[in-house]
Amino acid sequence: MTTSVEASDDAHDRALRAPWKAFFGMLAFAAAVFAAYRIYQHETAFTFGLDYFNPEFATYWMSVLYSELAIEVLLGIAIVGYLWITRDRNLDKITPSEELRRYLVLMSQLLMFGAIAYVVTSIYTESDAAWHQVTVRDTDFTPTHIGLFYFGVPVFILSVLTAFVYARTRIPAFAKRVSLPFALLVAGPVMIMPNLGFNEWGHTFFYAEELFAAPIHWGFVLLGWATFAAGGLLVQILTRVVQLTQVVSSADVQQTNIKSEAAANAELNAAA
Amino acid sequence: MSQELTVSAVRSTAEQHRVHVQVDLLAIPLVVLLFAAVFSFQFALLVGDWDYWIDWRDRRWWPLVTPLALTILPAVFSYFLWERLRLPLAATLTILALTAAAWVSRYLNFHLFANFPMNMVWPSAYIGLGLIVDCILLLTGSFFWTGLLGGFAFAVLLYPMNWPLLAPFQVPLELHGTMLTVSDLMGFEYVRTAIPEYVRIIEQSTLRTFGEAVTPLTAVFAGFLNIMNFWFWTWIGYLGSKALWIRKIV
Repeated sequence: MTTSVEASDDAHDRALRAPWKAFFGMLAFAAAVFAAYRIYQHETAFTFGLDYFNPEFATYWMSVLYSELAIEVLLGIAIVGYLWITRDRNLDKITPSEELRRYLVLMSQLLMFGAIAYVVTSIYTESDAAWHQVTVRDTDFTPTHIGLFYFGVPVFILSVLTAFVYARTRIPAFAKRVSLPFALLVAGPVMIMPNLGFNEWGHTFFYAEELFAAPIHWGFVLLGWATFAAGGLLVQILTRVVQLTQVVSSADVQQTNIKSEAAANAELNAAA
Repeated sequence: MSQELTVSAVRSTAEQHRVHVQVDLLAIPLVVLLFAAVFSFQFALLVGDWDYWIDWRDRRWWPLVTPLALTILPAVFSYFLWERLRLPLAATLTILALTAAAWVSRYLNFHLFANFPMNMVWPSAYIGLGLIVDCILLLTGSFFWTGLLGGFAFAVLLYPMNWPLLAPFQVPLELHGTMLTVSDLMGFEYVRTAIPEYVRIIEQSTLRTFGEAVTPLTAVFAGFLNIMNFWFWTWIGYLGSKALWIRKIV
């Protein structure tokens, strides 16, 4: 992907707005998928999801598990692959307004992540709490686990990973260095999956009951706390947005150009 | 660095204002959603059943476990919102987000999905605790005093703030010659898989046989613990709001 150095008025105007149409479109799509999943769970969890050894369980729930895992892997590869292939190879040449536009896109992606995170970590997580208080399970793949750990959490991971890869491939500050808070924000959700392995192993062997505040669940909490780093990420984003939205006079611009030229000369001299 | 020398993306103060409004429209809902998400998640996994069920809101563990877990987000984000934005809102806002998320979840999951009566699974009232912490931070401007006074009050006042809601469920009744509370009876009518574990936890030690001092004793003990708890999580908030850059991950 290449960027033009001179931005047109239209492009400049677009750069000052968040991509609301795309955001609300994606939000409506995600809401429809999560709501449909929830309605399906409501209708079939207690009717066909109680006995793992019942053939109907395989029809109504294991098929959902296999399908969603396949879709998520393909979707993940497609999104990350697309972002990587179309990465900006001229990041040092982008205009300030283009950079600002990308920051607004990044923030809208993070807002999408926030919406998905809320649905997954509150509604989907506590549906699991309610379920396991009324059923003694005979499998790791209960209907609520299939919804939470194999649908909700991967989508949650994918949403934050999308934002991370977008920033790494399109925003100069995030491309040159790694934002530690952003990396933590991605690592926390990703590490839920290995912790899930420990959780299921423990439930299989030594802790069948579902006391939700049990120590076996505390690993999830630690990973959830990775979100505390969101404060640092916001500081990084807002600091740059403030720099990009300073109102400068033509004299300031001239001064900046002189500084840029001086910096470039200094770099050349250093290289020589 | 050449990036920092880049000229502005806006041409006037009106455009600057437009961009800042856009940023607000993105950042504020993001922060609120993350508060709801993280708080619900950690509260479910650290307090969980103590807040889910009316018969678990006992006098021994509920007033201890709850404030210690409930203080975490207010303390962490107090640092960020107060130090970076001078907003003494973190405790109220985080607890409000938790409460809103809890009501949605109790209704959808515990009532509609698992068929428990709402009377048995309503979320406790914690918003007043957040207001106290934020007021102390606003008045003192100090995390030391907020931890000392607010952290202590946070734990001590948890039980009294919920007492008007809890009292009807603590009324004694007699069933087949045994005295128990209304909430105990509800618990026995709706047996859950964690009840054996709960009975093992709650029947330990002699505290259960003590008289009326158990709740205030637990509350004061929780208050002292919560002072250090608040300070510790404020420090985590300080670490979390650092805008650190690294060259590479490995």
